[in-house]
This record gives sequence, structure tokens and C-alpha cells, in this order.
Amino acid sequence: MLFFIGQVFPYLAVGVFIVGMIWRVGKWLRVPVPFQLTLSPAPVTISSRFGKVCGELLLFPSLWCGDRGLWLWAWLMHVSLAMVIGGHIVGISSIGLQFMDIGFTAGQSLALSALMGTSSGVVMLVALIILLYRRTAVPEIKRLSDPADYFDLLLILAIVVSGLHMRMTSLNVDLMAIRAYLGGIISFHPIPIPKEWIFVSHFFLVNVLLIYIPFSKLVHFAGSIVNQSMLVAPAPVYPSPIKTNSANVSAKVRLWEGGNSQ
Amino acid sequence: MIIDGKEIELDEDGFLVDPADWAENLVEYFAKQEDVSELTEKHWKVINYLRDYFKKFEVAPMVRKLCKETGFSLKEIYELFPTGPAKGACKLAGLPKPTGCV
Amino acid sequence: MKPPMHIAKEKDTAAIGFPLVPENDQQAVTLSKMKDLQSSMRSLMVMLDNCTKCGNCAKQCHSYLGTEDYFNFPAARAELMRRIYKRYFTWVGRTFGRFAGAEDFDDETLNKWLTYFYQCNECRRCAQFCPFGIDTAEVTIAARHILSELGLMPKFMQGIAANMEKTGNNMGIPIPAILDCAEFMEDEMLEETGLSIKIPIDKPNSDILYIPSSADFFTNIDTMIGAAKLFHYLGVNWTISSNILEAANFGLLFNLNVMREHNERLKTAAGAVGAKLVIQGECGHGWRAAKMYTEGSNGPVDFEIIHILEYCAQHLEKLPLKKLPMRVTLHDPCNYARAGEIIEQPRAIIRACVTEFVEMTPNRENNFCCGGGSGILMDEMMEIRMKLGKKKAEQVSALGKLDYLAMPCSICKAQIPAVMKHYGIDNLSMGGVMDLVGKAMILGKN
Repeated sequence: MLFFIGQVFPYLAVGVFIVGMIWRVGKWLRVPVPFQLTLSPAPVTISSRFGKVCGELLLFPSLWCGDRGLWLWAWLMHVSLAMVIGGHIVGISSIGLQFMDIGFTAGQSLALSALMGTSSGVVMLVALIILLYRRTAVPEIKRLSDPADYFDLLLILAIVVSGLHMRMTSLNVDLMAIRAYLGGIISFHPIPIPKEWIFVSHFFLVNVLLIYIPFSKLVHFAGSIVNQSMLVAPAPVYPSPIKTNSANVSAKVRLWEGGNSQ
Repeated sequence: MIIDGKEIELDEDGFLVDPADWAENLVEYFAKQEDVSELTEKHWKVINYLRDYFKKFEVAPMVRKLCKETGFSLKEIYELFPTGPAKGACKLAGLPKPTGCV
Repeated sequence: MKPPMHIAKEKDTAAIGFPLVPENDQQAVTLSKMKDLQSSMRSLMVMLDNCTKCGNCAKQCHSYLGTEDYFNFPAARAELMRRIYKRYFTWVGRTFGRFAGAEDFDDETLNKWLTYFYQCNECRRCAQFCPFGIDTAEVTIAARHILSELGLMPKFMQGIAANMEKTGNNMGIPIPAILDCAEFMEDEMLEETGLSIKIPIDKPNSDILYIPSSADFFTNIDTMIGAAKLFHYLGVNWTISSNILEAANFGLLFNLNVMREHNERLKTAAGAVGAKLVIQGECGHGWRAAKMYTEGSNGPVDFEIIHILEYCAQHLEKLPLKKLPMRVTLHDPCNYARAGEIIEQPRAIIRACVTEFVEMTPNRENNFCCGGGSGILMDEMMEIRMKLGKKKAEQVSALGKLDYLAMPCSICKAQIPAVMKHYGIDNLSMGGVMDLVGKAMILGKN
């Protein structure tokens, strides 16, 4: 059992995640955009378009303008998620000593890492709980939500809780052993998973999440970019800049072929 | 729909499906539907103008032209036909309901 | 559930090429059309897949705020299609059913679609407030397309489509009537200015093809007169084509194949007249269709397409305008502000034509729809229409005493006066922006 969870499942999970995301995004990108959906006023230069899409991804201005409360908790949740993911990548390779590169002592670096890690985790926990509460408390949202919407939140909450548990209790989690184990996974030389149940559950749930993402609404991290790109695409210019040459017509002009298939 | 013993086809909005079915006795019937309490000479002036125009041009006349040719202001037309020239007056005159952005 | 509008009869939909699909086959045909659309327009799958049910769209939709009907909440409206999509087109939906938000197609599905996708004004305000940019209008356009392919459509849409096919305009105005109307307007302008200002119909070898809304030849003639005066003053060689006396493209509002046909008329007419410049009149969704859908519908075109307000704004400095002493506000039609890049031009024009211009709040791309958008002008839906127009009434009444409400779109011109009357705001004139240009322009003896 532990062999499966420790040395097979991670590869399965990452594989499904990568293939799944390529499949899902590919499904969208394969379909043409026959009519520009430019949402005016649209940015006019390539860099301002890029800026608009990135701005939305980083700061959630649409939520800020709509519902400040939602903005606060959704933004905090996403920012702390980013910190947690970043922190894992940096932390696992440097075991908290990364700040020595900018002049801190080992002790200070470890303390700062611990502080950043714990606070991101706590903020994420609080935000998730508030978002979960909101989903049950606002009548329209409750009516709109599917069981899957709650499942998403609960799954991520379970991961955060188990992660925070490792960080904050005196349960002795052997960081060096975990580091070695993860190194083994990444270098395709898997070694047995450290047996601490808290780590095994945390890691297992993360892999479940990876498998779940491409088939759920959590694809919105990629979908957002695909969708927003359509909305900032430039409007058509007339007269059309392409020559009315039949060879060019089918290649460049996005003609809509759907319709009355009867 | 049977009015005065004759079978007349009306659409869901109560307009004549076939303008050729129009007869003077129908006007009383339509008047009730369109909040026109009493049919006066002024009403008939509008109705006759509409019918003449429709015979010639197969469509209702421009509202301003209707006003000018009958001598009534738009306000007066609304007083005569509370549901308006497009809905009320056209229905009483047996024209099809003007459709589009009106 | 009975849809709140008159549904077109079988023989009528068949007459415009949409025979009614028998009830037993409706599910299969619906799913087949959904599949067609999913492989034709990227927006559909992306927007159905990415909703996280955050609910930010609720408080931004005038339809939901006005009707307080759950299904008019944009995300809930999209769910009407999303649940069917998940059930029949995603393995997760097929396997996990209700857990994943999938639902079976049943007897009520199409009735719900007819009821609620015809209460979406396709105004795109939700897209602005959605963190992913999900545009419920896209789902509505898709749903209405599928319904029409099944032979299910409001009588209102069918009537317009039939008229368009017959005469090239929504009102069914035949050529002799067009000429009579043009003559009448020319007489009016002669009386007013002492000048012989022409409205040319089908003049060959014209540089400019002007495409007015057919309502400009019925109720909103001041808009037409304003445009005619503009062209007269600028001395340009222009004409109207009797083949397309219609800036509107109701195909965009109920069936995309019909949209392509209507759009083709534009291309053909411009070619026939030899125009290098096509100017669209005051019509909201028609502008969106002309600007955004022409290339995708009928391939590249070798003429320019601009809007009368863009054109007027370009030449504004030259015009002999005397400011009218009025306090005026502007209603930004959805399809200009959120789908057509026409935001500052009407403002520039109004400022040049009147003494006092005030903005309503919110405005520009954040403005609320009038409630008639996407052709929701059916008489039998009046109660719902008034609810859809509630936010608009609030916006206008907040401005206090006004002389004129400028609304450069024919649907708005039909909807807003009814809304204002309903909410007791009737001490102001309403009309287009070109109307003001016509009234402010000093020509001849006026």
C-alpha cells in the first residue's frame, strides 16, 4: 500500500495532471474564434493587452470593483496559495536556509522561513474557511453550488490542515528524510516514503488534487488566460488587410462552419 | 374568433392576420381592447388615413407623417389611441402590427 | 413553465427555414447543435468549463437586480446550458452526475431556455465583472441559436426575420414606401431650412453607403434627418440602399446562420453601390454585428465600416452648430460601450450640440442596459421589460431635471420611453444623438 502511495501514485498523479491539462486546454484552443469578442474599451497595444490579462490574474480587479469582501478572501486565498507553493519549492531544496544568500544567518533564515510558511498557511486556512462559509451562507451562491464546489474547498482545506499540522505541532517530521524522498521522486529514483502518517496523508491528498484539477473547475487558472485573451483581442480592421485571394481566405479568415447540420 | 357572426382570424396580439378581413364593425371590437372609449370622427380620420396609406404602400406610415396629414399632434394621437399609433391605431385600422424596434 | 412570450407558429418558422423539430427528436437535435457550436466557437466551451461559481456577477446584472428571479443571475442562467453540457459532453458529468453539476435533459429544459435566455439582454456587463471574463451573452447567443434551429423562437423574432427576407429591413417597408418616406423627410427639411437636402435611395456610384435603422424611417426620423443634414453639409456622395435599409442584424439575436445572411446583404449592397465606406446608423447590436462579425461571417471586405457617430465626431469641428440650451445626459448602449468601442464619440458630439451635458452613474462601459437589449421588445413581455429597465430608471431619476436623454440605439429608443413612463419620469424628451446634430446645425434659414 505504502509502496503504491509512495512510489507509483506520484508519477501517476503528475502524469495525469500534465496530460489532462494539455488535453483540456487543447480542447479549447483547437476550436477557432470566428467572431472577435473584444470587450471594449480594449487595450490597443500588445503590451497593454498583456498587462490587462496579467493584472487580472494578479490583482483580481473585477472582484475589487464588484464585491470587496469576496475580493479580500479570494485574493488572500490565492496569494497565500502562491506563497505556499513557492515556499515548498524553495524550502524543500534549501531547507529554510535560502535567506542566507541575502545575508541572514542560518538561524535567522530558518526563523524567517518558518514565519512565512506558517503565516501563509494560516491565512490560506482562514480564507478557505470563510469562502466555504460564504458558499453556504449566501442563498444564491448556495443554490448555484454543486457538491463538487464544496468538495474542491474541502480537499484543499484538508491539504492545508495537514500541512499546517506538520508545521505547527510538535509532531516530529523528519524534513531531511522528506527532502531525500522528494529528491528521489523527481530524479526518477524513488525511495520508500517516510512513514509519518501526517506526511503520507498530506502528500497523498496533494496527488489526488493533481489528478482532480484537469477535470474540474480548478482548470480556471488556465481557462482564465484563454478566456481573457479572447476579450482583449483586437477588433477587426476594415478594409480587411488580407487580399481577397481564395488561398488566403481559408487560411486567415476564421469562417464559422457550424450551424444547420440538418 | 367569431365577431358578428363572421369568422375572423386574429394573431396572439389581437391583430388581424389578413388585412382583407377588415370591416367597420370590427373597429368597435378592437376599440375596447385598446382602451378607446368612444369612436369619434377624429378616430375615423386617423383610421381612414392609415387604411389608405396601407393600401398604397403595404406598410404603416411614418408617425410624423400620420400626424401631419391628419393634423393631430402626437400627444393628441395618444389621447385618441392610448396604446399609441403603432399598436392602437394600427390595430383598429386593420393593419398588421408594426414590428422591429418600435 | 410557460415562456413569457408568444412563440412563433410552426408554419411561420418553417417559412423562414426553421421547421419545428418533433418533440421526440428535440433532445437529440439539441445535443447535436450543441456539439456543432462547441466545435465552432471557442468561447462556448471555455465559458462553460471555467465558472467557479463565485457569484460576483449577481449584483452587476440589471436583469437579476430588476426581476429578482434566480435564473436571471448570470451564472445561474449559464448553468441552464452548463448542466446539460456537463452531463452529455464531459466524462466527469456523465460519470458523477449531480455531484459534478450535471443534469439530465428533460421536458422543462427547452422551456427554461426559452424563458431565461430571452431575459438576458446580451449586454456583457457580467463579462466585465467576472474574474475570468465569462460572457453570459455568448451562452445566450448559443442557446438562442440552438432553440431556433429546433424551430423554437419568439414570434417577434420570426416576424422580423420574415420581413428582413422579404424587404431587407425589419419593419417590412417595401421600396415605394421607402421612397415616400424619404420624400416626406426631404419636404420636412425643405420646410425647416429652405434648402433642398436629399436622401438618395439606390444612387449608383456613391462613395458612401449609409445604413440607417428601419425605425429611422418610422418613428425616429429625427435621427435620419440629422444624418442627412450632416452628409449634405459635408457635400459627400452618399446613398441608402433599399436592399438593406436596416442597420440591425436580428440574426445575431436569435440565429447565427441568419446573422450571416443579413450580414451578406451589407457586403452585396456595398459592392452594388460601389461604396468604399459603409456607415452604420444608430443601432446597437447592428453595430456590433457589422464591426465584429463581418469578416467571420462573409470573409474579407474591401470597404471601410464605421459608425455614424464616429464619422460625425471625425468631422465635428467643421460643422456649423449652435448649442441648444438643454441639459442632456447620455445612455451608453451596451453594444457601443462594451462591444463596439464607441464611448467618447457620442460625448464629444453632444457637448458640441448642447449647453449642458451630465453623465449618469455608472456610465461608459459600466452603464446598465436599457432592458430591451437583444430584441426583448415584445409587448407581451412588458412587465418583465419594465423590471429589466428598473436600474435604468434609477439612473435617470438620480439626475434630477433633464431636458433630453440621448440614446443612440433603436432598441433603446423603443424601450426607454416605455420604462420612463412606467416609473413616472416623463418630463423629458428622448432621442438619438444625430437628432441633436440635426437640431443644432445651422443650415439655410433655420
